[in-house]
Amino acid sequence: MKTSRIAAVFMLVSIFSAGVALAHKVNLFAYVEGGKIHTESYFPDGRMVEGGTVRVFDSTHTLLLEGTTDTGGLFSFPIPRVDDLTIVIDAGMGHKNSFQLKRTEVEAGK
Amino acid sequence: MQTCKSMLSTVAATWLMLAAVPAFAHFGAVIPSDDIITQADAKTVTLEVKFIHPLEQHYMEMVKPKQFGVMHGGQKSDLTAALKAAKGGGPDQTGKFTFWTAGYDIRRPGDYTFFVEPTPYWEPAEDLYIVHYTKVCVNALGLEEGWDAPVGLETEIVPLTRPYGLWTGNLFTGQVLLKGKPVPHAEVEIEYLNASPGNISVVLPPADPYVTQVVKADADGIFSYAMPKAGWWGFSALNEADWTIDHEGMKKTVEIGAVYWVRTRDMR
Repeated sequence: MKTSRIAAVFMLVSIFSAGVALAHKVNLFAYVEGGKIHTESYFPDGRMVEGGTVRVFDSTHTLLLEGTTDTGGLFSFPIPRVDDLTIVIDAGMGHKNSFQLKRTEVEAGK
Repeated sequence: MQTCKSMLSTVAATWLMLAAVPAFAHFGAVIPSDDIITQADAKTVTLEVKFIHPLEQHYMEMVKPKQFGVMHGGQKSDLTAALKAAKGGGPDQTGKFTFWTAGYDIRRPGDYTFFVEPTPYWEPAEDLYIVHYTKVCVNALGLEEGWDAPVGLETEIVPLTRPYGLWTGNLFTGQVLLKGKPVPHAEVEIEYLNASPGNISVVLPPADPYVTQVVKADADGIFSYAMPKAGWWGFSALNEADWTIDHEGMKKTVEIGAVYWVRTRDMR
């Protein structure tokens, strides 16, 4: 009886938190301009991700650099390498997403 | 007597001809190649700008629009120069008619509301000019912001339902504005675009009233309609302009339409 009640509560909690995670799906967008890579991180409703961790990986999945988004959800850095880059935003609480920046786009923005 | 008879028959013939003119609804159309652009998609949206009978798949000749633009992040950009003429026609139409296409490169996340102000179209059958201010929204890269903002056209439909990511059967709710103010009890015509990409079966209306659906807005100009099939749906609210256009020395009425297009997909 007690176990089943705990299980039910647990299920409710998981359903609820799954819903929250979905409604708060985080996004990162990146573009290259003037030798720098600019990122902006946001929730679908337009709120910016403040203090989120941005990690930049090259095509061999090596971590190149790491930074924190400002109050406007922005984080910019000089081009670390001309390569296919994967930029990951981690807003905590399992809110994570990535953006692929193609080598050609990085090259074009040098 | 003879004259009277022939006059009568002329009147009858005219009446018959008038009655025979089908009451097809004209729709301004702006249809993008996709309504949602994700990270994996090509970032160029191709748009087709037409003046059509959406269900009958009839084209009308369209001269170059007065204005074609996009609003993103509250900023409007003029894209009129990007329009290129193309020719098209419906399956039961002889001849080809001009419509317009444009490519647009999405560079940033957010909602892009494309809008068209066509050059007034002279419709002799109705003895008036038609100007349909037409809009469509394309969402890009996960940022769902901007779709509910009016563009500021003379008349326009502002969606109250997010206008993308819609399932077949969803209710679309919008508000009809004229000079920025709601139009109480506006009549809204709705048609399915039979030429929708991926339409698996062309809709053959069993009777004329099926061609154009009609709903009336409430006192705040708000209307709703549930879309029963996957594809593109056009919503058109018609009003009479408080200005006229001269046609062969006569002042003619101008029908101004607020048109909005949305796409639905089947749940599966």
